[in-house]
Amino acid sequence: MSTHEEILAKLIEAVVEYEEDDCADAAQEALDAGMDPMVAVLDGLAAGMERVGVLFDTNEYFVPEVLMCADALYKGLDILRPHIKLDADIPKASVVIGSIQGDVHDIGKNLVKMMFDVAGWDVHDLGRDVPLETFVEKQLDVKSDVLAMSAMMTTTMMGMKKVIAMVKEKNPDCLIMLGGAPVTRDVANLFGADGYAESAGNAVSEGIKMIGRLREYQKGEIK
Amino acid sequence: MSELTGKQRVQKLFKREPIDTMPCFSGQGAVVVQAIEKMGTRFAKIHTDAALMAESAITSARLFNMDGVVIPYDMATVAEAMGRGISLYEKADGIIYPTVPNKWKNLDEIDIPENYMSQGRLPMVDEAFKIIKEKAPDLAVGAWVLGPFTLAGQIMELDILLKGLKKNKDKTEAFLEQVTKVTIDMCKHYQDLGVDFISVREMGSGTDLLSPRMWKTLIGPNLKKVFDSITRVPSVNHICGSTDMIIEMMHECGADALSVDQKNNAAETRKKLGNDVLIFGNFDPYKTLTQLEDMGEVEAAIKKCIDDGQDAVWPGCDIWPDIRQENMETYVKTVRKYGKNPSPAVGRI
Repeated sequence: MSTHEEILAKLIEAVVEYEEDDCADAAQEALDAGMDPMVAVLDGLAAGMERVGVLFDTNEYFVPEVLMCADALYKGLDILRPHIKLDADIPKASVVIGSIQGDVHDIGKNLVKMMFDVAGWDVHDLGRDVPLETFVEKQLDVKSDVLAMSAMMTTTMMGMKKVIAMVKEKNPDCLIMLGGAPVTRDVANLFGADGYAESAGNAVSEGIKMIGRLREYQKGEIK
Repeated sequence: MSELTGKQRVQKLFKREPIDTMPCFSGQGAVVVQAIEKMGTRFAKIHTDAALMAESAITSARLFNMDGVVIPYDMATVAEAMGRGISLYEKADGIIYPTVPNKWKNLDEIDIPENYMSQGRLPMVDEAFKIIKEKAPDLAVGAWVLGPFTLAGQIMELDILLKGLKKNKDKTEAFLEQVTKVTIDMCKHYQDLGVDFISVREMGSGTDLLSPRMWKTLIGPNLKKVFDSITRVPSVNHICGSTDMIIEMMHECGADALSVDQKNNAAETRKKLGNDVLIFGNFDPYKTLTQLEDMGEVEAAIKKCIDDGQDAVWPGCDIWPDIRQENMETYVKTVRKYGKNPSPAVGRI
């Protein structure tokens, strides 16, 4: 039987090499070996995705490879997630996420969504081409901690400004993340958003960096 | 010698013949809200009516003294004609471009109808070209088509397509060849209509998404076939996003001109390709025409394009229609002011 370290190495490699079956097998092996599933997620799957981020930043991997790595990650996550025990004292964080009306692209959105899935958040995925009022209605309904919106094209991003104004008016504590090719930091600031990712590419980098921060947070390395 | 018309200026530019001043035109959407308001219509209406499409294009050009027009405005016309549907957002507030709601979900579902050219809004777009040519014979008339890879991403799910390039290479390549034939047919059709230039926008293929190696094997060869088919009018190879790593390969595809966006290091590109190649670009349209409030900064952004060696100052993408009038005027004025001097590939009269 493999050691816990070996199983983590298998999970990491399966994600990096986008081997979906290997990832599922390693996840099952982690459960069979009595590993804490959260450790397998954070130090296996998420750690693998962090390496993918490095490969992406150094132009070894591009978006097709990252999408396949994400598929492998989800194969493992689907097996591990049902076994993660929740702490009843800590409320589960939640996010409402979607691509804005007029935008039928969702690659960046799905990569950011992956980050929240890994973190074990309640994810309310509205999909793509989502009418502005649907974002507002859903956010006010579930009172999510974060509202994440993406627009791949300049031509759709103006809608974000309206949503932010509507949500912030009724729920000023909601953090708002913007992503998408045309959204620069200046635009995000102008619209009153709290965070941004510049493109599908940057969504990959930024999303993965956030996974890294999350791992540190879970281990108590940052508060 | 009397001043050239916009059409003559653009035609001569493409032939690299001396012109009086740098033309001001684009191969990307350049319709503006000021024109739509003047016509008393709405943005959602100009995508489905030939007269409104033609008039909004002409009025946009006339209001700002541009040298040419380009239609259609959205990327969905061909996918719609293939039966993938269309979302027009007629009841939505503000400006939303039409999109394709029902993309094919896997390669096995794909069934491109033979008669697509007569379906959806494509005949309406043809009619709009005819109206523009009749009503504005002094303006250069540009058509644009999606490059094969970007068109493929309009008719099938993009993530499936991207993963298919690695996982299901043979089948994906065969599909891209099929789509290449569509792009070629569209280019032939627009040449038959007598447009003055065709811009092929392979905008989803920059190195933000694909590796240079993938570009070389899967994008470049199909684009070359497309440019080989454009023999009767000048052609432009436009890619937005990161293009520094693929600019030489773009050039090898054989278009008459290259167009890049603000992510391209334009001065470096000019050095790499030399002074004989027509290069258009590369200002950030949203920032320059919609956000900046200091006209000195607008002038500086436009002048930088000329200083970096562009033969025509093109926006890197569609102009966001809700431009600030003052910014658009400054864009055109700056091109006229600094464009009197020769550009690297084109002399002056």
